[in-house]
Amino acid sequence: MIALVTVETVVLVILSVLVVGLLRGYATVLSRLHELDSGSGSAAPPFRTIPEVPEPVQQRIEGRAEWAPAHDIEGVSLTGEIISARTVGVEHDTVLAFLTSGCEGCAGFWQELEKDWAVPGGSRVLVVAKGPEHDSPEQLAGLCPPGVDLVMSSQAWTDFGVPGSPYVMVVDGRTGRVKGEGSGQSFSQVGGLIAQAVGDSRRRIVKPAADREREEDVDRALLAAGITPADPSLYGTLPDGPSTSDAGAGRPR
Amino acid sequence: MTPRLSGHGLDIQLPARWEGRIYQRTAPAVSPATAARTAAINSPGGQPHPVMHLANFALPASRGDFGTGAVETMGPQHIFVAVVEYAADCLDTALYAPRGIPTLTAAQFNPNGLQRRIVGQSGFQHFFTEGGRPFCLYVVLGSHRHAAALCGEVNTVLGRLEVVPA
Repeated sequence: MIALVTVETVVLVILSVLVVGLLRGYATVLSRLHELDSGSGSAAPPFRTIPEVPEPVQQRIEGRAEWAPAHDIEGVSLTGEIISARTVGVEHDTVLAFLTSGCEGCAGFWQELEKDWAVPGGSRVLVVAKGPEHDSPEQLAGLCPPGVDLVMSSQAWTDFGVPGSPYVMVVDGRTGRVKGEGSGQSFSQVGGLIAQAVGDSRRRIVKPAADREREEDVDRALLAAGITPADPSLYGTLPDGPSTSDAGAGRPR
Repeated sequence: MTPRLSGHGLDIQLPARWEGRIYQRTAPAVSPATAARTAAINSPGGQPHPVMHLANFALPASRGDFGTGAVETMGPQHIFVAVVEYAADCLDTALYAPRGIPTLTAAQFNPNGLQRRIVGQSGFQHFFTEGGRPFCLYVVLGSHRHAAALCGEVNTVLGRLEVVPA
């Protein structure tokens, strides 16, 4: 009897070890798959160099390097409402339409606002006019349809560096960056820009871990050779002209 | 630096993700409880009183004093706060006897505390006097289930609110 119990116990222990081993194997496989799927973060990781590599001078970015920083908007409505609207660090994207009461090119935008122009992807639309010191609230009231969110803010025009009117910008709420901008005769005309900008934020680039490791290896090799970020040799031909055999060395990465 | 919303004797340094608006209404504000019983809101000839709306989501342009038009767009993690000032003749009444901007607890929120019941949401209404001015505080949480977590965010916002004495 004792021998039977002993044998059963040994078998049970062996089976337990096997089960634990199997579970661990599954966990390892799942972990690897998770890494290949770019990790658990829902957003792309912020840009940063590896510890040994200094960051490029005056190029520190948190989101997308090619996007200019956006700004929250503070101003007043046509009814005197004091407004502080967020465009940065929020879940939604914001379509900013910089319009004035006097510009002929803005007419198409005002007309489409009256027709309840469909905003792509649940984005918010803010019409940004210059402050009362630069534009006429009475004329704007005559142009702006009821229910349209209009903010009078000369500061916003300055903050965003608006070159003229009409001008449309699309702000990515999560990164707080301007991810699309342009001008046209109407929302429909710049609709492609807006749709593309809004759509881009939903198509996240999944970068496999292997690619990331390869990039780090390249960075280390360049660093070992004394080539740091913003080094001229990374972006153009060398001053004295390389020999034919190594002509590719001066090409952009 | 986070934006500051200031006007009509109300001032707040907005926390991250929060935005706000302040406007004046000429008609006497009607509390959610009263508004539910009567459709007559506007009363010509009333004194203008400020209404402050704060939210951690995009506030639409058209909103009622107690958030109609905005609360319908809320998600589970969203919060709407209305601070509505009433006429000075409300002072010294029992309703406005509580002094100071309150600190809230999750237990104070109730789905029946909403002006208009929306599935999942929870509301709280409180009348108080601050700086010699009578106010109604009305808060809507996007999810009653998350009241404990959202309530902390509400208190952070209320802790930043300053009222200029009358």
